[in-house]
Amino acid sequence: MKMIISAFALLTILLGAPAVAAPGNADNGKKVYEKRCLMCHGEEGDGAGPGAERLNPPPRDFSEADYKIKTTGADDPVPNDDDLYRMIKDGMPGTAMPGWSDILKEQEIWDLVLYLKIFAELEDEKPEEQLDYGTQVATSPESIAQGKKLFHDADRCSECHGQDGKGDAVKRLKDDAGARTWPRNLTKPWTFRASNAPKDIFTRVTVGIPGTQMPSFADEKSKKKLSIEERWHVANYVQSLAKTKRTVRADNTVVIAEKIDGDLPATPDDKAWAVAQLTTFAMVPQIIAKQRFFKAANDTITARAFYNGKEVAFLLEWDDRTKSIPGDEAAAKIADPNMGEDAVAIQLPVQPVEGLEKPYFVAGDNAKPVNIWKWSAGTTKLAAKIELANGQGLDKLEARDGKAAGLTSSGVYKNGTWRVVVKRPLATSETDSDIQFEEGRFTPIAFAAWDGSNSEKARSYTLTTWYWLLLKPPASTKPIISGVIVALLLFGLLGWWARNAAAKREN
Amino acid sequence: MKIPKLLQAVLVLAIVYYGFILVFDVILDHVIPSSLLTMYMFFVVAGVFMVFTATEESTRELVGPIKALVEDPSKKTIRNVVFVILPLLAGWYTYGKTSLSFEAPVELRTIHPAPPSSMKAYGKRYDVIKLENPLRKLEKEDPKKFKEHVAAGAKVYIQNCHFCHGDKLDGRGPYAAGLNPTPANFQDIGTIAQLQESYLFWRIATGGPGLPKEAAPWISSMPIWQNFLSEEEIWQVILFLYDYTGYQPRSFGHE
Repeated sequence: MKMIISAFALLTILLGAPAVAAPGNADNGKKVYEKRCLMCHGEEGDGAGPGAERLNPPPRDFSEADYKIKTTGADDPVPNDDDLYRMIKDGMPGTAMPGWSDILKEQEIWDLVLYLKIFAELEDEKPEEQLDYGTQVATSPESIAQGKKLFHDADRCSECHGQDGKGDAVKRLKDDAGARTWPRNLTKPWTFRASNAPKDIFTRVTVGIPGTQMPSFADEKSKKKLSIEERWHVANYVQSLAKTKRTVRADNTVVIAEKIDGDLPATPDDKAWAVAQLTTFAMVPQIIAKQRFFKAANDTITARAFYNGKEVAFLLEWDDRTKSIPGDEAAAKIADPNMGEDAVAIQLPVQPVEGLEKPYFVAGDNAKPVNIWKWSAGTTKLAAKIELANGQGLDKLEARDGKAAGLTSSGVYKNGTWRVVVKRPLATSETDSDIQFEEGRFTPIAFAAWDGSNSEKARSYTLTTWYWLLLKPPASTKPIISGVIVALLLFGLLGWWARNAAAKREN
Repeated sequence: MKIPKLLQAVLVLAIVYYGFILVFDVILDHVIPSSLLTMYMFFVVAGVFMVFTATEESTRELVGPIKALVEDPSKKTIRNVVFVILPLLAGWYTYGKTSLSFEAPVELRTIHPAPPSSMKAYGKRYDVIKLENPLRKLEKEDPKKFKEHVAAGAKVYIQNCHFCHGDKLDGRGPYAAGLNPTPANFQDIGTIAQLQESYLFWRIATGGPGLPKEAAPWISSMPIWQNFLSEEEIWQVILFLYDYTGYQPRSFGHE
């Protein structure tokens, strides 16, 4: 089916592309705009609609004529109509802007394109300079290696995008309007506003992102200037960064812990983790209970686990652009005001679930409490720590003694990623208040994280819904034995039937 | 040529089985859980069996080839082959079934649980069956005022609801993928188009935690909106949902 769809998409591209600008009708554009766009982008097209306040990134201000995703020359303020058409049709991943192709007709989109240009008084302007793509360099290990070198040379790209491309910031960035911006985490292709195809990355590197501090690397005056060929290498390298196992897969909802002999890995750097199965979950900001939180910095968390006869150990990994250490001056410079500690939490039901009825996924409920194991990174004065609480809802969190329950932890921050190991014995003495782990049972599990530099504290955080944890029992001989028994029984039964029939005939 | 009854039965079962897989896995792109498929197939097999054994004659026709295979001396070779293959298959099946499955438990849920006859919100009781949107009558009485309420509803929606239910009301907001169950799609003919406004009021005002017990697994992420919105704002956003999608709410009046 996927193949049919891609074949069909290819056919449409071959037959239909490039999209040709049909002359727009501004009156129709206005009508569509008022029904579909105004609520975020505002009546005046200034990005100040009633929805704007709670959006991150904020809606585009069309009156400023800053077109971030465009394919005309870096110095040309006028975009191609196709650029606007594409953004409306396909939307912008990682933002609240959806693709409109299923609701709007092609002509309606062209009408909108014209109407948007009127906000910037560009309706009569034509772009003067087109982007030069030269000859595309196909991706290859050599090209990627060259791109990697160019990316890191004199900190050309890594200055903002980080050593591993995670956008771990070393300086504060802002857009032309003065709003805070963060460099793109290049390992998260689902947040690329256009796409992570090399051609789109080449375009961004060549044009820059107007209105932001992402510069043009085709600029003759720049010390960091790259040739066309070099830009293709960088594009290939950046695309390769997105090939990570840490992506959300809707069909992958279980953290599978394999049983191992001997001690469990106690630190994130232990090599044993490399063989553990990993599962990545989507995180959403806490927009459910008061005070709702809208502008999260993180969107995924990856979990792996192991267990042995005594304990279970989890490794949690999540990208965080900043190591937030309250009290630290360097950290404060980059953080938003009111910095908190970076933190992460695992949530598990105290009692096994029956009939699939789980506790409320936001910190449990009255009838079904949850265990919350929260690790915090510490401050200049306090060391990192792991804490235990039992939750019956966000209003009813009861702090308990994590040490008594046997919780231990170890965390490391490196190049834009936190990695934290949390361990606990399978059984505790307080069987009424602590989860008791059982081999082979599917147990609900949920996660939460706080990015201190994004002012995430207390109820301002990101969380997941319930997923599953399974302590996978080691392979056993039972299935083979049962299979053989069933085969023999059936064979005997059939033989007996045939023999009986034969005996009857002879009589 | 007449297809033997036994082959007919096997063919029907095979077509239904692969039909399920075709519809769910391929067309809907929603892999059918094996336990659910087993349950469906149990009823299909039972049904096929009942149809094919409706008369004595058809029963005889159905089991005839099986009896012949076991009892007819001339079919010795094929009998020996079947007698080896069948137990092997059964053994293999048992092995597969008793080997542990690591498929996550299936969560069946009621999409639209029945509303209670009365509900509590804003510190008072509502009779859900009689409850009507107090702003709906303005559609005819004062269209200008009505439009203002729809616009106010749009504002409520964009500031509160689109994060999950989407800009296009299609249930695919920026955070939809991280939630389970996924947010309702109002553009779908199966949601608000089938419901009364009082039902929406109930679901919005009391949210996920207000769902009745039979709606378990009770994990809907819907906030309890009476904590955030006024009564009028809820009625306004309901007007907006119908206005934007072009659907009409259901009412007892016309049925």
